Amino acid sequence: MAEDLVLDTAIRDWVLVPLSVVMVLIGVLRYFVSKLMRSHQVPDLKVVKEGQVILRARNLRVAAGFIPAKSFRSRKTYFTNEENGLLHVPKGQAQNAQAQMFSDPNLAMDMMKKNLSMIIPQTLTFAWVNFFFSGFVAAKIPFPLTQRFRGMLQNGIDLSTVDVSYVSSRSWYFLNLFGLRGLFSLILGEENAMDDTQRMMQMSGFGFDPSKSLGAEKDGIDIIQHDWALPKLEKRAEDALKKLLK
Amino acid sequence: MVGASEAAQMERLESQVDNGGGGAWEYLCLVRKLKARRSDKVLKHGLSILNDHRARSKLGAEEWTLYEQVAFAAMDCQQYDVANDCIALLSKQFPRSIRIGRLEGMLLESKGAWAEAEKVYARLLDDSPLDQIIHKRKVAMAKAQGDLSAAVKLLNKYLEIFMADHDAWRELAEIYVSLQMYKQAAFCYEELILSQPTVPPNHLAYAEVLYTLGGLENLQTAKNYYASTIALSGGKNTRALYGICLCSVAIRQLTKGRNKEEKEVSDLQTLAAEALQRDYKQRAPNKLPFLLSMLKNMKLNS
Repeated sequence: MAEDLVLDTAIRDWVLVPLSVVMVLIGVLRYFVSKLMRSHQVPDLKVVKEGQVILRARNLRVAAGFIPAKSFRSRKTYFTNEENGLLHVPKGQAQNAQAQMFSDPNLAMDMMKKNLSMIIPQTLTFAWVNFFFSGFVAAKIPFPLTQRFRGMLQNGIDLSTVDVSYVSSRSWYFLNLFGLRGLFSLILGEENAMDDTQRMMQMSGFGFDPSKSLGAEKDGIDIIQHDWALPKLEKRAEDALKKLLK
Repeated sequence: MVGASEAAQMERLESQVDNGGGGAWEYLCLVRKLKARRSDKVLKHGLSILNDHRARSKLGAEEWTLYEQVAFAAMDCQQYDVANDCIALLSKQFPRSIRIGRLEGMLLESKGAWAEAEKVYARLLDDSPLDQIIHKRKVAMAKAQGDLSAAVKLLNKYLEIFMADHDAWRELAEIYVSLQMYKQAAFCYEELILSQPTVPPNHLAYAEVLYTLGGLENLQTAKNYYASTIALSGGKNTRALYGICLCSVAIRQLTKGRNKEEKEVSDLQTLAAEALQRDYKQRAPNKLPFLLSMLKNMKLNS
C-alpha cells in the first residue's frame, strides 16, 4: 500500500541529528586516540628494499616501450633470473610472511590496536542505536525499493505492510557509517579522512605481504612484450614540427 | 618540477617583497614548497621576520620551520653565526632530534670540517639506518671534496636499497658523465626514462650520451630520442633540433658506402632545419648567418 505516512518532525530533532552528531564525535575521538596510541614503527631494511624493488619493476613494466630493446632485455633478466633475480622468491620463503607477521610482536600489537580502535566504537554505537532507537519509523528514503530490502532496513518495525521506503534508525546508522568520510576530510584534514569502510578493508588485508607482490611483478615482467615506442614518437615529432612551421 | 605558473608567482612575490611590500611569509612558504634555491633572499626576509617579535609570535608553531629554512639559507650564504644561532634555538626546543642533527652535520659540512661531519652522520645513521637524506648528504660530501669515485660508490650502495629514487639516478648519471663513463651514464638515464617517461629532459640527456658514445646503432637510437624529445616538448627544444641535424649528418657519413634506405626520415631533418631557422629568425636574428652556413655545410657533406 503506497500511502504516505506523515513523520513527526520530532523524529528528525531527536533521532537523526543526534545520531549523526554522535557518530561524528566518535570519529573525531577515535582519530585523536589513534594519534596518541600510534607507536613509531622502525622500518625494516628488507621491507623497504622490497618495496623499492617492486616500484622499480613496475616502472619497467609500464614504460618498457621507451627504452631500447637490448636494455629492456638485460633488465628483464636482471629481475626475473631464476637464480639470483631480484624478483625471484625461493619457494620455501614464500609462506613465511604470514607466520612472521604473527610471531613479530610489534606487528601483532599494532594490528590488534587498529582493529580494537575500530571494532569497539562500532559495536557500542550499534548496540546503543538498537537499544534506544528501535521500533519506530525514522525516515523515508526518496526512491522506491524492492521488498528484499525490508529485512535489512526495517528491523524494528514489525508491520509488513509498511512501504519499504520507510526505514528504521539502524539504516540511518549505516548510512552515516559509510558516508561521513567527506565530513571527516573537512574537519580533520585531507589525509585523515578515513572512513570506516576503508578501515574495514585495511583490516581484512594482512598488511604488506612482499613475496606475493614480488611474484606478481615477476609474472608481469615475464609476460610483457617489448613494444618499441620510439618510431611512433618520431612520427609525432614530424607532425609537431610541421604544425609549428605552418 | 616547478610549474610555470608557480615560478611566475614566485617571481612576482619576490619583486613585491623586495620593494617593501608585504607578503614575506607567503614568499618563504612558496620557496620552501618549490624547493627553489634563493638563499640570499630567504636569509634577508626570514631574518626580518624572526627578529621581529610580533611577526614571530604570529607564526605560532611554524616559526621552527622558518628557523630551519633560515639556517639552510645562512649556511648557503656562509653566515655561520646566524646558522649557529638558529640551530642552537632549534636544538633547545627539540632535543635529540634527527632533523636537527642533520642540520648540525650540514653546518660542519659547510664550514669544511669533513671529518666531524662524517662522525655526526655516522652517529645519526646508527639511530636510523634508513634515513635517505643522511645517505645523500654523505654522497654530497664526497662530491664536494672532489672524490667522485667515492661518491659513485656511495651512490651505488644507496641505490641498491632505494632503487626507485629517480633523483639519485639522475645524480649518478651526471657524475658518470663528468667521469666520462658514458655506458654507465646511459644505464642511469634509462632508469630515469623508465620512471618518468614523459619528461623531455630525460630523453634529451639520454640522446646526448648516446650521441657521445658514437657508433651507428647508438647514433640511430640517439636520433630516435632527439625526435621523442621534440615530440614531447612540442617542437620547441632547440638542442633537440640541433641534435637531429647532427645525428643525420653523422649517420650519413657512416653509411656513405652503403646504399641503404635513402629517403628514410630525411623529412625530419629538413623540418628540424627549418624549425631552427625560424627560431633563430625570431629570437636571435644576428646569429642567423652562422646557422645558415652550418646547415649548408651539413647538406654539402652528405
